[in-house]
Amino acid sequence: MRPRRMRLSVTAQGLVLLAPALLVYCGFAVYPMLDVALMSVMKWNGLTPTWRFVGPQNYVQAATIDPVFWVAFGNTLIWTAMSVVVPPLIGFALALGLNQNLPGRGPLRALFYLPVIIAPIAVATIWRWMYDPFFGLFNAALTAAGLSGLIQDWLGDRAVALYAMFIAYVWETVGFSMVLFLAGLQGVSRTLIEAARIDGAGRFATFRYVTLPALRPSITIVLILSIINSLKAFDIVYGMTQGGPAQSTQMLAMWAFTQAMQLGDFGRGAAVSMVLLVVTIAIVIPYLRWMLRRDATA
Amino acid sequence: MQYFRSGALAGLALGVAVAAAPAGARAQEITLWTLNFANDSANQAFRSIIDQFQAANPGVTVKVENRGVDEHKSALRVAAGSDQAPDIFFSWAGLGLGGEYIKSGLAAPMDKYYAEYKWDDEFLPAALSFSRQYPGGRFGVPYTFHGEAVYYNKALFAKAGITSEPKTYAELLAAADRLAAAHIPAFTFGGTVNWHVMRLMDEILETECGAATHDALTNMKVSWATEPCATKSFEEFHKWTSKYFLKPFMGIDQSQSFNLFLAGRAAMMVEGDWLVGQLKGAGRLADYALFPFPTGTQRLYGFAEYDYISSKSKHPDIAAKFLDYLGSTPVQQAHLGDFGSISVNRFVKYTSSEPMDLAWQRIFAEYRSTFVNGDQAFPLAVTTEYFRVINQVASDRLAPKDAAAELQKFISSAK
Amino acid sequence: MSGGDRWFRAPGITRADPVLVILWVALIAIAVIWIAPFVFIIFTSLKANSTVMGAGPFAPPLHPDWSNYAKAWMRGRFATTVLNSAVITVVKVPLGLLISAMAAYALSRIRLPFRRALFLLVLFGTMLPFQVMLAPLFTLVNRIGLINTYVGIILPYLAFGVPYQVFILHGFFRDVPRELSEAAEIDGASHFTILRAIFLPLSLPVLAALLILDFVATWNEFAMALVILQDNGTWTLPLGLMSFQSQFSNDYGQLNAAIVMTVLPATIVYLIFQRYFVSGLTSGAIKE
Repeated sequence: MRPRRMRLSVTAQGLVLLAPALLVYCGFAVYPMLDVALMSVMKWNGLTPTWRFVGPQNYVQAATIDPVFWVAFGNTLIWTAMSVVVPPLIGFALALGLNQNLPGRGPLRALFYLPVIIAPIAVATIWRWMYDPFFGLFNAALTAAGLSGLIQDWLGDRAVALYAMFIAYVWETVGFSMVLFLAGLQGVSRTLIEAARIDGAGRFATFRYVTLPALRPSITIVLILSIINSLKAFDIVYGMTQGGPAQSTQMLAMWAFTQAMQLGDFGRGAAVSMVLLVVTIAIVIPYLRWMLRRDATA
Repeated sequence: MQYFRSGALAGLALGVAVAAAPAGARAQEITLWTLNFANDSANQAFRSIIDQFQAANPGVTVKVENRGVDEHKSALRVAAGSDQAPDIFFSWAGLGLGGEYIKSGLAAPMDKYYAEYKWDDEFLPAALSFSRQYPGGRFGVPYTFHGEAVYYNKALFAKAGITSEPKTYAELLAAADRLAAAHIPAFTFGGTVNWHVMRLMDEILETECGAATHDALTNMKVSWATEPCATKSFEEFHKWTSKYFLKPFMGIDQSQSFNLFLAGRAAMMVEGDWLVGQLKGAGRLADYALFPFPTGTQRLYGFAEYDYISSKSKHPDIAAKFLDYLGSTPVQQAHLGDFGSISVNRFVKYTSSEPMDLAWQRIFAEYRSTFVNGDQAFPLAVTTEYFRVINQVASDRLAPKDAAAELQKFISSAK
Repeated sequence: MSGGDRWFRAPGITRADPVLVILWVALIAIAVIWIAPFVFIIFTSLKANSTVMGAGPFAPPLHPDWSNYAKAWMRGRFATTVLNSAVITVVKVPLGLLISAMAAYALSRIRLPFRRALFLLVLFGTMLPFQVMLAPLFTLVNRIGLINTYVGIILPYLAFGVPYQVFILHGFFRDVPRELSEAAEIDGASHFTILRAIFLPLSLPVLAALLILDFVATWNEFAMALVILQDNGTWTLPLGLMSFQSQFSNDYGQLNAAIVMTVLPATIVYLIFQRYFVSGLTSGAIKE
């Protein structure tokens, strides 16, 4: 036994262990969140030394005179709605397929997950180049196939730009859903499935009554994470269109950034941020309560 | 790289200061923030100008930091809120872009240096005029002066049977029709960078509204909604984007559009005098020529770029001395063509026999006054809306007849 | 792993299942679509500009033009950006994991006042979108004079990395049987010692998974770097790529070479440490 040195009480030890993470988290994550709330009722151009209190003016202006805010708001809704359906569905289908006894399933999983680990800004650059209207993959392939009538200005035509961008996003995120579903499928009892099949249950019935119920938690998690990630869409917009053409692919996170950091209106940018923050928190809190309940029963 | 270079510079400065500087002189460093140079010759020119200035001023080091446009603006915003400011910074002249930094106090008045170095005698009056626009004194000194005009592909003009350069707007339209008949798009533009397509809109506004009304519109002194020429301009603009543009154009940027121009996919581009350098770099000078956009107002479409001394500079006198050196006749003469076709220094002699250089000299000599690009006249928020409205019209999402009113709605509510 | 002769069999069935064969063909077809962008990027990166503008996109580069890589490396200042990314990642990732492990230990094994509230605060952070806070982050870091510094970017990176790591490690530490640490406590070891000698060695697989995940996240981060690293001498790889795209968008071969060079390090790390990615991602989100 070692000689006892001067030592801290247990509580003090705990605080010492906790302090670095807590300080940096409060200082650089919690504080900026409070700051964004404060900034949203101020007028500040980023250059002058002082802020001016203006009350709810920034919110009112965003909602009434800002011609882009509602476009960004609507696009964020569309984007989120698409993100919660398309990548999880494809990911789910891939996971079901790759959970079977198929040759090469290891490399296939690795391939589908690969876009997830590539820098989002690189994904944006890759797809922007593929969408190049003159020399990019899509239009060149359409021309080669004799389908030049289908040629689009993928990122320049506002009717298609948002959806073109979304296809890149699908490519980027499907692997994420797939991996979470695959992990969920590990938890589905194999014996139960085999028993069901031997009992003469069809493929669909087995899926419907054995696999699907067991995947419920995974589905919830994937859907919530998909929503939250889609609300944050920033890198891909910045890298592909910067919100253009004519602000038609603008989204809330990007518009908040543009207003504050590029147009120098920090108050208006903060007001847009707050809208996004409140929406996110409204989704996150019920989810966290659900998680805690699961955590407690696990 | 960066670290080694600045380390070496500092070491060099120290060595110079210890070995050669007169007693009392200490190593002094001034920093200059500017944009990325458009071509390598500008880069080399700057390097050699600095070397010579440092040789002539022992103990002084000049450090240049180059950035892209957006990064440069953000960096200046950082500078305004901290003490990391450069001694000299680049910005465009005019109330819209340069004016922002003057309003916020980042730029220092330079009246003293104007008197000391007699810059009013040295620089082109048109380029200097912007330094008087600001309240509270003279700010900034001209660094370059640029004009924009229509470049065209001579072979494509010949193919369409166009024999002379358009002198009026009607002739320009007629030329576009002839090109269309020969299945040649008249213009190529890059729509992702909003300011590229804007150039055509600016030119048309000047054409339709005339000088006085155009200025009143960009200064927001009269309503866009009630000024019929504003609506007419949007209608004309839409005619060009729908009938005479190389398509698609909203999904490419200006450098891609230049590629297409070189590839002969369209006949014309609205570009600045710097395009001569780019055409030279591509070895294609002989294939192109240029003429001023026929606005009929006898004003040159262009802008000045300025260097401002920062209010936070610790060595404003040295900064001014460097700016004087940069603009001096021998330096400008030696590096003619590296930063643009035309020098801001009025005593520079032009000797080039390249036809497009001669064309630019004629234009600069002939035009007495200028009108600036829309994004340099408007405040930033209005510029963003101006871009949006232009793009909406260009992509057929907003009827041209409603465009001017839409812009005015934003201007009125932002006031 | 099943042997080759047992492919295409459903569980409990001994014959090859034709539906699974069809499924397999479909998966291969999707895989071809998934891999096409990579092929296209690599092909373009090896072509001269005139070839890009002339030949078809899937024409293989018969005369590979490797000079695109050298030129893009110089013009994109990759020497600087790779170094910056490496320094930031090498400092941030282990440091962040260390402070997260300390905090997770304190929250899971020590009776602290407000323990539950603190845990909830951290849990909340796992969902916090930093994208909405770019402007306040910028003003904060600017006010303390750390714009354009490694410290200035590492602090917010730590702040937004801590919650997820604490959450995962908290769950792991909590499930460590009491007996393991009780013996040491009776021996009079401090909590610092217990964490170092018992908990950290025990959780090496989790730590490895978090390390790899965090490496990729830090290496790829763009938005915060965009507002905090304004000076091109401090740029990271993603910022360098973005700048390259806006400056040299018409040099198609070099642009694609720049993309390949940006993407390659993370791809290699991923291919080597593949299994850790899956365990790191799923250990927190799904546990059954």
